[in-house]
Amino acid sequence: MIVTTSWYLVLGALLFIIGGVGLLVRRNPLIMLMCVELMLNGVNLSFVAFSKALGDIGGQTVVFFVLVVAAAEVVVGLGLIVAILRRAPGSTADDLSVLKG
Amino acid sequence: MEALLAFTRPPLDWHALAPELTLLAVGTILTLVDIIWDEKSKQVMPTLAGVGLLAGLVPILTLALDGTDRAMFGGAYMVDDFALVMKALFLIVGYIIVLMSVDYIRDGDYYENEYYTLMLTSLLGMLMMASSRDLISVFVALELLSIPAYMMAAWRKGGRRSNEAGLKYYLMGVFASAIMLYGMSLIYGLTGSTSFSSIASAMALNDGVTAMSILGVLFVLIGFAFKVSAVPFHNWAPDTYEGAPTPVTAFLAVASKAAGMVALIQLVFVAFDNHEVIQPFFWLIAALTMTVGNLIALRQTNIVRLLAYSGIAQGGFMLVPFAVAGQASERALQAIVIYLIIYAFMNLGAFSVVLAVSRKTRSGELESFGGLFQYAPGLAVAMTIFLAALAGIPPAGGWFAKFGLFRALLDAGGAWAATLGVVVAINTVIAFAYYARVLGQMWFQPIHEGDERPIKLTSALGSALVIALVATMAFGILPGLVGHFGEVAVLSTLGR
Amino acid sequence: MAGGMLTIARILRPQRPTRQKLIAYESGVDPVGGEWAQSQIRYYVFAVLFVLFDVEAVFIFPWATRLEVYGLFGLVEMAIFIFILVLGLFYAWRKGVLRWV
Repeated sequence: MIVTTSWYLVLGALLFIIGGVGLLVRRNPLIMLMCVELMLNGVNLSFVAFSKALGDIGGQTVVFFVLVVAAAEVVVGLGLIVAILRRAPGSTADDLSVLKG
Repeated sequence: MEALLAFTRPPLDWHALAPELTLLAVGTILTLVDIIWDEKSKQVMPTLAGVGLLAGLVPILTLALDGTDRAMFGGAYMVDDFALVMKALFLIVGYIIVLMSVDYIRDGDYYENEYYTLMLTSLLGMLMMASSRDLISVFVALELLSIPAYMMAAWRKGGRRSNEAGLKYYLMGVFASAIMLYGMSLIYGLTGSTSFSSIASAMALNDGVTAMSILGVLFVLIGFAFKVSAVPFHNWAPDTYEGAPTPVTAFLAVASKAAGMVALIQLVFVAFDNHEVIQPFFWLIAALTMTVGNLIALRQTNIVRLLAYSGIAQGGFMLVPFAVAGQASERALQAIVIYLIIYAFMNLGAFSVVLAVSRKTRSGELESFGGLFQYAPGLAVAMTIFLAALAGIPPAGGWFAKFGLFRALLDAGGAWAATLGVVVAINTVIAFAYYARVLGQMWFQPIHEGDERPIKLTSALGSALVIALVATMAFGILPGLVGHFGEVAVLSTLGR
Repeated sequence: MAGGMLTIARILRPQRPTRQKLIAYESGVDPVGGEWAQSQIRYYVFAVLFVLFDVEAVFIFPWATRLEVYGLFGLVEMAIFIFILVLGLFYAWRKGVLRWV
């Protein structure tokens, strides 16, 4: 069985969708953060797959930047979550309702 | 393989990069000062930041006088007149927000030194955004401007509301950027390039709209629709605006939104030139954003939330010209740039007044504006001018922004443009209703809690107010002034 | 086939969940507290700093493999990059984050 580019693309899309649905469904901020990572990795996978298929190095460069920026984002997110959990342990996103939308 | 491995030093145009380098240098200096003197350096921080922002304007002026478009890194980074106008706007907005922040941050329970470093970093991202003509640089610029903003929204130490505002903004922001990235990966796969000009030419070649290109373009646009808080992607905005410290709210509502608009302008007018999805998408989103923003604003009782929803609606007005980007591209671009410039000053002015009043009343409720005219006539008149500008009543600046919108719609012509014009007109009337409510509070209601002490304006906040006021009035009385900026702000690729 | 067997087994087998059976480790030490056991907060800052600096190495590796080709230009560029990173580390150190409390 030959694994073609489209396999990677489908896997990337699946990861992205799972992450996206998870982010919308789950209420624990930490898990939401993990879902974001899942989405970004789906993106990375499809970038790399396209890059390989096109024989163009540009897509891999994007992945470098996405990786680094994602790390910076997660650090900020963790900081925010820790700041909230310190005050109110066991918070979920539903508890964050001081501000009514 | 050898060709791939050979390395030639990319030519760097130091003059073109000077504004960004200035901000980077000032940010580094702020951090160094903070490292060396720690708490003792609190007093000089805002001064340093303000001076740094003004210093960044100098190379922009010399670049504007020079007048040539400069492209770097194979066209990934363009310094053209559009970029210069937007960069100047970002720096001036940043300066006004530093002025608004000084006393607020000093008096409240905040970390001071980092605040200014973060703001400079965010502004650096915005400056980069104005020049980015490549998917990678757009993404990096977007994150550089967003990540500090997430932290600034949560800046109040141990403030539950503020932390919550930050987390909400953060989750929506990263969700949006993930969606945008996925769209980018599709576009990259389709066109084989990340630079806007190659994307445009590749898209022109692949005629026939494929599902992949529709999805890619939509995802990227949706990512930025979050950033400019367009309905239905606006849910984060009111909560974040209310919970964040007020100067940060002004920063998000003006600078961050303008940066999102700048990115949209570059995507729509350069990369996805005339893609079939663009016009219907923006038609729908602009109409929804204006209407929903205005209708919800009608019911608000908190002044910051009211301004937040009014900001959403104003964002909707700004999205209108995108809907006619195909038929009247030059007029549409001008209309957006003019709207952005005027909106920045009138909204910053309104936020300055809110800051000044809440310094005394310690309240964000609409009632706290009761009888403002009787004990602070100057502030009441200023607020009246800003609200008139936001509502689009001459001679205050906003009318010219609305005029630009209608001009673009008229130039485009056709049934769709006409319908959108009607929606804009109806929304202008709705908006007038809630701005009038604030006016009614200030002029006709009894004084809030009978507290008649006059409001003491600090010099920094006063200067911010005066700058915004002068600019708003000048744009209204001499519309040629801002019209000129709109006309010169042509994307160098537009005449492609 | 396998699914069928599992379904049949599911229908046939007795189901008497008790509290003992539902906790994570049926034998051994009973778990204490919620599932989100708090790791000590002091690890968190170090972990975050580690992630940040770890990921920034993504940019240094490609440069290191091609050091000679990039020459002086590459060296200066990387020096600036590392200077900004070190600035971050110094900042963390000055604010007392690195002290083991």
